[in-house]
Amino acid sequence: MNVETFKYDNRIVRAFALATAFWALVGTSLGLVVAAQLFWPDLNLKLPFTTFGRVRPLHTNAVIFAFVGNGMFAGIYYSLQRLCKARMFSDALSWFNFWGWNAIIVGAAVTLPLGLTTSKEYAELEWPIDLAIAAVWVAFTVNLMGTILRRREKHMYVAIWFYIATAVTVALLHIVNSLAVPAGWFKSYSIYAGVQDALVQWWYGHNAVAFFLTTPYLGLMYYFLPKASDRPVFSYRLSIIHFWGLIFIYIWAGPHHLLYTALPDWAQSLGTVFSVMLVAPSWGGMLNGLLTLRGAWDKVRQDPTLKFMVVAVTAYGMATLEGPTLALKSVNALSHYTDWTIAHVHTGALGWNGFLTFGMLYWLLPRFYRTTLWSVKLANWHFWVGLLGMMFYVVPMYVSGVTQGLMWRQFTNDGFLQYGNFLDTVIRLIPMYQLRALGGALYVVGIGLMIVNLYRTAKSGQFLPDQEAQAPARTLPAKPAPRHPWTHRWLEGVPVTFTVLTTVAVLIGGLVEILPLYLIKSNVPTIAQVKPYTPLELLGRDLYIREGCVGCHSQMVRPFRSETERYGEYSKVGEFVYDHPFLWGSKRSGPDLHRVGGEVPRRLALQPPRESSIDLAPVHHARVPVARLEAPGHLCAAGTDSRVAPRGGAVPRGF
Amino acid sequence: MSDAPDPLLLDHEADGIRELDNQLPRWWVWLFNLTILFALCYLGFYHVWAKGDLMLAEYQREMEIGDAIKAKALAQFEADLATLVPLEDEPALAQGGQIFAQMCAPCHRGDGGGLVGPNLTDDYWIHGAAFKDNLRTIYHGVPDKGMVSWKNLLKPREVLAVGSYIYTLRGTQPPKPKPPENQAPANVPNIYE
Repeated sequence: MNVETFKYDNRIVRAFALATAFWALVGTSLGLVVAAQLFWPDLNLKLPFTTFGRVRPLHTNAVIFAFVGNGMFAGIYYSLQRLCKARMFSDALSWFNFWGWNAIIVGAAVTLPLGLTTSKEYAELEWPIDLAIAAVWVAFTVNLMGTILRRREKHMYVAIWFYIATAVTVALLHIVNSLAVPAGWFKSYSIYAGVQDALVQWWYGHNAVAFFLTTPYLGLMYYFLPKASDRPVFSYRLSIIHFWGLIFIYIWAGPHHLLYTALPDWAQSLGTVFSVMLVAPSWGGMLNGLLTLRGAWDKVRQDPTLKFMVVAVTAYGMATLEGPTLALKSVNALSHYTDWTIAHVHTGALGWNGFLTFGMLYWLLPRFYRTTLWSVKLANWHFWVGLLGMMFYVVPMYVSGVTQGLMWRQFTNDGFLQYGNFLDTVIRLIPMYQLRALGGALYVVGIGLMIVNLYRTAKSGQFLPDQEAQAPARTLPAKPAPRHPWTHRWLEGVPVTFTVLTTVAVLIGGLVEILPLYLIKSNVPTIAQVKPYTPLELLGRDLYIREGCVGCHSQMVRPFRSETERYGEYSKVGEFVYDHPFLWGSKRSGPDLHRVGGEVPRRLALQPPRESSIDLAPVHHARVPVARLEAPGHLCAAGTDSRVAPRGGAVPRGF
Repeated sequence: MSDAPDPLLLDHEADGIRELDNQLPRWWVWLFNLTILFALCYLGFYHVWAKGDLMLAEYQREMEIGDAIKAKALAQFEADLATLVPLEDEPALAQGGQIFAQMCAPCHRGDGGGLVGPNLTDDYWIHGAAFKDNLRTIYHGVPDKGMVSWKNLLKPREVLAVGSYIYTLRGTQPPKPKPPENQAPANVPNIYE
């Protein structure tokens, strides 16, 4: 047998690992700033660049794409080489991936505070950066597939399946959702409008969670957990079923972000049922993680890496049970637009992604530097401070979310809204926001401890840039076997076929949901009075987008009595046909704005508001210091009256 | 790892990682099957046999119930309106003052001296001087003269509270009040007499 000698590229992994640690600190610190702005509005520094509306997307992008993105690449570049017994396909592509990706993040850090944004959540970056993302992602995919094709192992281990699904699906999601018509260098309009834009966006948004935050990290779990615990994976057949179940079902569940909106009922129901069916495939991953540790729990007690991973996998299990629960329409009616969603995503981000990344870094760095971790004690401190921080983050946000949801819908005995003034429901939450910021601060401190620990570890050892390894060359049979068994084991040896099947699995759900919204007219009944926006209204929309108003205000009145009493007539799908992009929003730190604006007189702040928008206008303009609203001073200073901006769908007068 | 090799250990190996071939946990298989069954029942119930209420039907039902409750409360208030007397307790007047500052002051001025809307502190009452007339004006509004109807915006007891507060403004003599309007009958009996 012809044994080959080759070298693993550790440099690229180290680069990604260092970037991960750096962006972890930046991303969570930004989160802490915006969290504090909610009870301490002066923290917006009275500058347009540092207002909540502009910094919040920077926080989400920094955590998802910078922190988790670099963490994912670090883990993939490390494990893939070893699982394939091969160096990465191309060093040039590896470094293009690293510098390209991090340059994109710097681009985000510059453009988002400048207000250059598409406003579509987790896809805020404007089109030149979107093109760069596509280029870098293609480079990553070529590097990944090239390495797999040059592997010296016959079969692909389960981690690699997840990497393939990630590469294919993220490319698909990013390209389809980012299609837009440019209007200048850093301004574009989504090619989709209204409900179609909403569905494409949440097909993307939901599956960014699935294929950017979940599948690559499941792959990392399948590599690093058995490695760190030195235990065999619990069940091979479970990994097969949960992999295919997960990637096929996940893609359908996007509409659960749009329950009770103007999205047609059939699409909402598909979102609900596929979310419910997602519980078992998700838990398959958790079980395979936790049960792999059978017989190794004594190690978990001592090894910080395993501690972090156990919490990560547990958080994953909790978040993936909570997600389907929130996708039940009756639960969603309460939870949607509230901080409950914020609690939910942070269980995932702080627990699953954060802790798995930390565990991985504590495991990787000593190996790179051929030494031991500088201080296990400090790592344990990080663990407990981080865990406490997570609790202080998540619990107040649950309380806050449920409080908000219940107050919005509370009626008095004589049939009136109990809290008709939206501000009452905001002020009640301030103590929870303060506690949440405390939790966030603890979490950030934990990351600081980790960085010190990793730095001292690196200092105490010597870096091994190219790690030598040996493996027998993989010889392809002279002629293909006449007959192969149609087993999964066979499939693991044919990466191209595997990739094609993966692509088919992730395409089905999206096509079934998105195409009918285009092809079947009855899904979007038109309203004759709805006319295209006037130039002034378009300018208003552009300002609304630039300032990130959509981060706190919805423009989607759900068909509930508690909403129509408060905001006015519920939103109809036909009202949004000229909305490029849609601005339905996903969180209400302030009230809905769909029925506000239009022919509002200049003395809006002083006039008794019309119809049932009673609580909106006064809060907005007369009591800014009390409200959580950032003073829109820079809008007025720029010579633009902010009050023309919040006009939502083209609502006919007297609708 | 234990000394005897686990019989479930597969002969796979990837970078030192081994895999067992444990059975799928029974409860997990059941969970998966039940969720699939739930999905089929759900879609069948709401969309194939259309037995369940979709969101707009749900909304209509909710509105009917809510409107009935509200209509009953409003009818009760309208019936009681003629016999209501001004509240005098502190919290109610404070609430009324707050509502006045927010809703009424823009037109009637913070001290009730009048702005776009008439002076509320003098003896001239365009739509009647009695307390019940005040309440009726607040409640139904006078659309022809620009007075908004507050019955859909303020709860009945808020109308009563703000009416009671306005009642306390009578005779306060704020500086530069809006003069009585022509339409105002000058010979209304002074209620302070």
